[in-house]
Amino acid sequence: MTATWRLEFPYRRSVGPVIGAFLTALRDRKVVGVRTAGGHVLVPPFEYDPDTGDAAGDMVEVGSSGVIVHAAWVVEPLRTHPLDRPFAWALVRLDGADTPLLHALDCGSADRAEPGTRVRIRWAAETTGHLSDIECFELAT
Amino acid sequence: MPDDVQFMSHHTAVEYKIPEPSRLTIHFGEELAKGRIIGHKCPQCGKVYMPPRGYCPLCVVETTEADEVEVANVGTITTFSVITPLQYQGQEETEDYVQATLLLDGADTTIMVMRMDGIAIADVRMGMRVRAVFPADGRSASDSQSIARGMGLGDAVEHWEPTGEPDLTREQIAEHIL
Repeated sequence: MTATWRLEFPYRRSVGPVIGAFLTALRDRKVVGVRTAGGHVLVPPFEYDPDTGDAAGDMVEVGSSGVIVHAAWVVEPLRTHPLDRPFAWALVRLDGADTPLLHALDCGSADRAEPGTRVRIRWAAETTGHLSDIECFELAT
Repeated sequence: MPDDVQFMSHHTAVEYKIPEPSRLTIHFGEELAKGRIIGHKCPQCGKVYMPPRGYCPLCVVETTEADEVEVANVGTITTFSVITPLQYQGQEETEDYVQATLLLDGADTTIMVMRMDGIAIADVRMGMRVRAVFPADGRSASDSQSIARGMGLGDAVEHWEPTGEPDLTREQIAEHIL
C-alpha cells in the first residue's frame, strides 16, 4: 500500500516583448523570429544576437514547414510528454530560419526521423499563446 | 483582436509515492487520534523522542514499546515565523498567520510548522506556554498521510491556546530552539 503525494509549482512567467511576440504569433498559427544585424534569422527569437550581444532587430515571419536537423527517438513516452506514443524530439529548421526549433515529431518510427527530412507544423485545435499551440511536427511528404 | 501574450503559465509537478507507514508510525497516529501524544525514552541517555523514531540517534540504540512514554499536550513556543501569503495561483491563504516550533513538556525534540491560529499574532512570543486543543467532535484526529510524511502531529490538533502560565525564559529553551 502506498499513498500518492503530488507537489505542484504553478508558475506564471512574464515572457517579455520578444518571446511575447513569438507566442502571440503562435496563437495566430504563425511562426516569427528575429533578424540579426548579420542577417541571420533566429527562431525562436532571442532578445539579443548571441554572436555579438547586440539587441536583435525586426521580427520576421518564417514558414511552418522545414527540415529535421537532428532527432532523438523516444521509445516510451512519459506521462508529461506531448504525445502518448513513441515519437522523436526533433530540432527543426523552419523555412526562412537559420536556427532550429525543438519540438516533438510524430512520425511513427525512428527511421523516418532522419536529418534532412521535410516536416511541417501540426497546429493544436485551439491555440492559446503557448509553445503547445504547436501540437507537434509531422512528416510533410 | 486579443492583446499580445504577456504571460505564460508553466506548471511543474513532482509526484511522490509514500510507502506504507511503519507499525510505529501507525501506532503513533492511533494514539494521537485518542488525544495521547507518545514518544520513546532512550533507555541509555533518557532523551524523549516525539514522534518516536524507534531508535536514539545519539546513543545508537533501538527503542521499543517498552520505552514508550506519554508526552504532555502542553508545551512552549521555542521559535516562530509570521507568514504573509503571496497571492500566487492556487494559494488558499489570504491572511497572515503564525507557524511555530513547539517543545512539548516531557519531550526533548521539538515539532515544527504548528499553526498558532488560536492566538493573536501580536501575542505570540518565544517562551509562550500553549496547550493543544483536539477536535471536540471526536472525528478521526490523525491525518495518517501527514504523519507518514514525518510531519509530526499532522492536523490532529485543531488549534493551540495559551495556558496563561508565565513564559519560559530564553535560557530554559536555548537547547531546544529548533
